[in-house]
Parts: sequence; C-alpha cells; structure tokens
Amino acid sequence: MKKTYKKTPIISRCASDLFLPLACVFGCYVVLHGSTSPGGGFQGGVLVASAILLVFLGYGGMGVKHSFNEHMLHSSETVAEIMYVVIALVGVFTGLNFCVNFVFAGQQVDTSILMNDAVGYHVMAGITCLLIMMLSVLEPDDGPSQGEEKEDAA
Amino acid sequence: MYDFMYHFPVLAIMALFLGAFLNSLVGRRNAKVRNTVVVLSMLAALVMMLSLVKPILLDGNSIVYWLSNWAPVEGWAIGISLEVDALSLFFALIVVVAVFVSGVYSFFYMDRDDSLVNYYTLFLMLSGSVLGLVLSGDLFNMFVMIEIMTFTAVALTAFRNTYEGALEGAFKYLVVGSLGSTSVLIGIALIYSQTHTLNLAQLAAVLPQADNPVTILAFAFLFVGFGSKAFLFPFHPLAADAHAVAPASISLMISGVLTKCGVYGIIRLGYCLYQNMDQPFVQYFVTGVGVFSMFVCVTMAFNQHNFKRLLAFHSISQVGYVITVVGLGSALGLSAGLFHAMNHTIFKGLLFLTAGAVQHAAGSLDLDELGGLSKKMPHTCALFLIGAASISGLPPFNGFASKWMIYEAAFQQAGETGNFFFVVVCVAALITSVLTLASFVKVAQSVFFGQLNPRFANTHEVSLGMRIPMWILAVLCILPGLFPDKVQQWLLTPATLAAVNAPGYIDAAMGTGYAAQHGVEATLSAGFGMSGAWQPVMWLLLLISVTLAVCIVALLGSDEKATVTSEISSSEDNDPKYDSFFSGEASVYSQVGGSDLFWGFKHNWRHYFSFMHNWHSGVVNDYTLYGAAAIAVALVLCVIFL
Repeated sequence: MKKTYKKTPIISRCASDLFLPLACVFGCYVVLHGSTSPGGGFQGGVLVASAILLVFLGYGGMGVKHSFNEHMLHSSETVAEIMYVVIALVGVFTGLNFCVNFVFAGQQVDTSILMNDAVGYHVMAGITCLLIMMLSVLEPDDGPSQGEEKEDAA
Repeated sequence: MYDFMYHFPVLAIMALFLGAFLNSLVGRRNAKVRNTVVVLSMLAALVMMLSLVKPILLDGNSIVYWLSNWAPVEGWAIGISLEVDALSLFFALIVVVAVFVSGVYSFFYMDRDDSLVNYYTLFLMLSGSVLGLVLSGDLFNMFVMIEIMTFTAVALTAFRNTYEGALEGAFKYLVVGSLGSTSVLIGIALIYSQTHTLNLAQLAAVLPQADNPVTILAFAFLFVGFGSKAFLFPFHPLAADAHAVAPASISLMISGVLTKCGVYGIIRLGYCLYQNMDQPFVQYFVTGVGVFSMFVCVTMAFNQHNFKRLLAFHSISQVGYVITVVGLGSALGLSAGLFHAMNHTIFKGLLFLTAGAVQHAAGSLDLDELGGLSKKMPHTCALFLIGAASISGLPPFNGFASKWMIYEAAFQQAGETGNFFFVVVCVAALITSVLTLASFVKVAQSVFFGQLNPRFANTHEVSLGMRIPMWILAVLCILPGLFPDKVQQWLLTPATLAAVNAPGYIDAAMGTGYAAQHGVEATLSAGFGMSGAWQPVMWLLLLISVTLAVCIVALLGSDEKATVTSEISSSEDNDPKYDSFFSGEASVYSQVGGSDLFWGFKHNWRHYFSFMHNWHSGVVNDYTLYGAAAIAVALVLCVIFL
C-alpha cells in the first residue's frame, strides 16, 4: 500500500475526531477522581487506552502507527510501575508503614491519588501497547494486503 | 535495630518487584547494568530474609505488618497484612536461596539466548510473587500472588520457544494451572461469603467455629487449588511437560519453589485456617493424595527418555513424600515434611542444574543417546552423584535424614493409631525410595557412565560460573545430612511449633486474647519423640563397612560366579565374530542404554506401564478433565466425610 492514510469514510473520521477528546477526558477524570469516587487508576487507564480504537476506526492502521510510539509507551509503562513502588516506599522511609498516607494525614488528598495516577498511566500505556499489537495483527502493513485484493478480485 | 527489621518483609518483596521493573527499564541495552540490577535485588531479598532468622526463628517473635497502618478495628481486620511467623520465614528462606542460586546460574546458562531482559523481568516477578505468597497474611493476596506466579511461570516455560513442545507445554500449564487458580478463587469467594473477612489470622479464629457445608466446600476447593500448584496427582503431567522444555534455572524454580508454595498453602490451610488435621478423614485424604503422587510419579519416571522429564516426575514424587507426612497430622510428621521440602529444593535444584549443564555442554537431554560424559565433565558428574545419592536417601546426605524422619513418622502413626493404612504408607514410602534409587542408577548409567557417543566427543566441562551455584547446592546437600539435629533445632522445631500454634498466629495479628475469645486452642500436641537410632554418620560407617566386606570377599574368594565369562567367545582370541554380533562388523558404539537396565522389571509391570502410558495422553483436554475430576472427587469426599 501507499504510505498514506487509508481512506476511511468521512463519517467515521469525523466521529472519531469528535469522540476522541471526550474519551480521553472522561478517562482522565476517572483516574483523577479514583481516590474519592468509584473507578480508579485501572478503569480510567483502560478508558484512555481504548481511545486508540477510535484512532484506528477513523484513520486505519497507518494512522495508529504514525501517532503512537510503541517503544516509548512500553518504557514509560515501567516508569509508572517504579513510581508506584517508590511512592509506596516513601511511607517506609518517613518512619511509617508501607503504602501509608504521609502527605496530609487524615485528609482526602493523599498519596493514594498519586498511586492512582501511577496505576492509571501504567494501565493506559500497557493496554495501548496490547491494542497496538492486536491491531497490527488485524491489518498487515504491506505484503498480505495485495493478496487480499487478489482474493477479492477472484 | 528490631524496629527497622519490622519493614524487611515488605522491603524484600518490593526489592524483587522493583528489580524487575528497573530491569525492563534500564537493562534493555546493557547486559552489565541488567545483571547488576538482578544481583542487587536478589541479594537484597536474601540478606533481609537471613537477617530475620534471629528474631523470628531463634527468638520466636513474629512480625505482623499492616500495610498503610490499617490495623484491626474492634476485632475486624480491614487492612491488608503481611504476617511472618517461623513457618512463613522457613519457606521464605527456601525461596530466596533457590532464587539466588537460580539467578546466578542463569547468567552463564542463558548466555546463548537473546531478549534476556524479558527473561530476567519475568524471573524477578516470579521470585517476588512467590516470596509475597509465603509472607502474606491475607488470603486474597495469596491468590493474587498465585496468579502472578502461574503466569510468569508459564511465560518462562515457553521462553525457549524454539524447542519442540515448548509452546505446547506452556499451553497445558496455562490451561490446567488456571483451573487450579480458579479453584482457589472459588474457595476464597465461598469463605468470604461466610465469614466476611479475608485476613488469615481472623479466618483462623472464625473458620473452625463456622462449621457449615459452605466452608467445607471451600476447604475442598482450596485444597485442590493449592494441590494443583504443588502438581500433586492428578495434576502431575503438567509438570513433566513444563519441565522438559523450560530452561534448567526455571525448572529449579518450578520444582523447588513453586511446588513449595502449594505445600505451604496446604499446611496453612490444614493446620492454621481450618485446624482439622487431627480429624481422621483429613489425614487419610491428604496422606492418600501424597502416597498416590509419590508412587505413580516414581513409576512414571521409570519410562522416561528425557533427562529433565524424568527429573520432573521425581520432583512430584518427592513432593508426594512431603504431603504424605504433612497429612499425618503429628508434629514429627510435619517437621519431617518441612525437612524434606527444604531438602527437595536443594537436591532437586542440584539435579536440574546438572541436567542444564549437560544440556549446555552436549546440547542434548536424550537419555538414549547420551553416555560416558563422566570423562568429559567430571565435576558435573560428581555433582550429579551427590544429588542422586541425596534424592535416593543414601547416608550421609540430606535426603537420608529427612526420609528417615518420614519413615519414623509414618511408623509412629501406625503404632499409635494401630491403623493398617499407615503401615501401607510407610511401606510405600520405602518402595518409592528404592525405585528412586533404581531410576537414578539408570540416569547415571545413561548419561555419565558407559561408552561415550562419538557425537559428544568434543564436549567440555561447563564454565566455573555454572559450577559454583551447583557446588553451593551440593554443600547444602551434605551439611544438613551431617548435622540433622542442628537443622531440627534451628529451623524445623520453630517452624513446626509455629504451624501447630494457631492461637499464637491469631493473637499476633489480632491482639492478645482474640483466639481465646473465639475458643481456638492448640489442638495438636508438639512432641518430637523418635523411636530408633537416627545417626547418619553411624549409617555411613555401616554402609562403608558392608561395602568393604563385599569387596574383600569378592577379591579374596576365587568364586567362579564373580567372573562372568561368555560361553561363546574365549578370552584368548579377540575375534569379533564371536561377539554377540554373529555377522558383519563389530559394533563401534554399543552403549548399554539406561532403559535396558531394568527391562525385567518393566516387562513384569508391562500392563501397569501401558495403562499409565495411555492415561498420560498428552492431550490438554484430558488433563483438564482430570483436574475437574479431582475437584469433583474432593468435593464429594469432603461433603460426605468432613
């Protein structure tokens, strides 16, 4: 195929433009409010990550490939994991227990919101990587697509 | 000093997990950085666990760590806890030592593989999850750790996915292992619906009183789930398929560490949570499962032609020993089981590492084509013989000490209860040990002695970096065998007392008096009295003197039976045409295959072997069916008899 975006119907492109910010904002909302309301890092992270499906629907496999750096996502995922452990460990080194709320003891704003953010980022990056992998299986880049066309012609 | 040690359990677990994460971040480019991270995190965990030996094992304290300071409120454990008593620490020590040895070994063993950063990340996550499992004081966290453990182990089994059968073995492990995990989860859900808590200490106080059909079902589910993690019968075919294809360092982890998690779960379940090990049905059930695993697997090992597959079956057989004596419900039996669990990790680890060394040097694990490697790999051969002598229970190695305790425990139980079942158990344990020895004679003959296959003429001894971990394990094989009373005093007695002392476990977490308030009392008496002499050095002297006597008789006597002469060929003319080949040329390579050694035995048992051969069909559907059948049988038996 040519190195251009695959032409998808304008309706799906417009719809994906419209819903993409909404999905991201809603996911971020769920992550940020995770410590005080139902939801949390994992659910919000999955919501944000599922936005990649909108990109795929609007712009096809090439669009996903152009807009995401899988390797960068993968290594930043481990940064989020390390951040989680470090935030939890700070509790130990301030003389309290592991995972303890050391910032504003007794208030609603505490370390658990930071941990939620770390989990949210981790899940987002991880699920995005997974989805990219699955989508790349779904739509091969160059070779097999011609074969499909031949099959269609036959 | 003690205040800071209070944090060590959680820090040790986190050191391993943090090592895994850092490794996947920074270890991708540079092998040295990667190895440094791995060694540092393993060392941190090892040192922290070793430093806990004095306060916990020797002084008898226990550490209860409430994550985030969520201590119990009004007798309800609302937080997540880590609870480290002597039993947990005993298993944690096994874990960290095995992890350290396996990690150091894999630096040199895995040098021909690529994408090692994935290997070490998974390896450290596996180690961290196992450590978290044995230190956890929360039933649901145990399940989470079991899941991490199963999935990392599956991924590591398939790590060398170019091997024939690697993906197949991993797939079987994945499917049937998930069946076991699900069984644990269902058990946890049932318990939670009845008791509204998941803390182990609180459960131990509440469960013995909440004696209703639901908790009994939960017991059956949890037992089968933990049993599947220990690969007990009928889950053992998984282990064989997984071990044969996994890298040797991972085989060490699976056989030495993962199965111990199942054993730990069963001990916690029977002695601490339900405290029903004094009931005859539970004793028969657990011991029966153990005897079955022990006997079936040792006979299956007879038929194997793959070095590591054979070791895998022996591994389950030895875990069967552990479960057998754990099920006896006596303090002596439990401490024998713990001793054998520890020894099994050591000698089976050593044997798997020697198998890995053979694989690394000769490139094959096929018993039918290997042979005569003792001249090429003398160190590996000596290490293998130490391991084989230990697993077969020869004095003065550790296997003898623990097996002797096992026989004692079964014999004593038979004497006290007057029940014929325990006599059968004792005899089965002895027969299994003999068959183990026979099977290792076969391996030694097939791999290290006999004639060298010309294909392996260029084999060299493995590097020092691979031999040092093996020597560490070999020394650990010998020391407990020489000083079993010290091991008993320092490790086994504290761990056994902690396991049977459920009120102490409850009170440490929930506050003093909580156990008494719920009417929990220590049910088992803690007596370690042994009948008979138990001195490995004396037995070694006996062995040596008997051997010497036989040698002297054989040398002095002009016994014609001692010299075997062929009736056809005379010794004077070396004409090869009178050899067992009557025509053609003399055979250049005629190794006596290990599988030929016991052909008479195999012939006599051919019906049993062919039945077993058909039964182990290798089809994952069948194995899942066996697993489901195991759950069903356990449910039915527990509901009827418990």
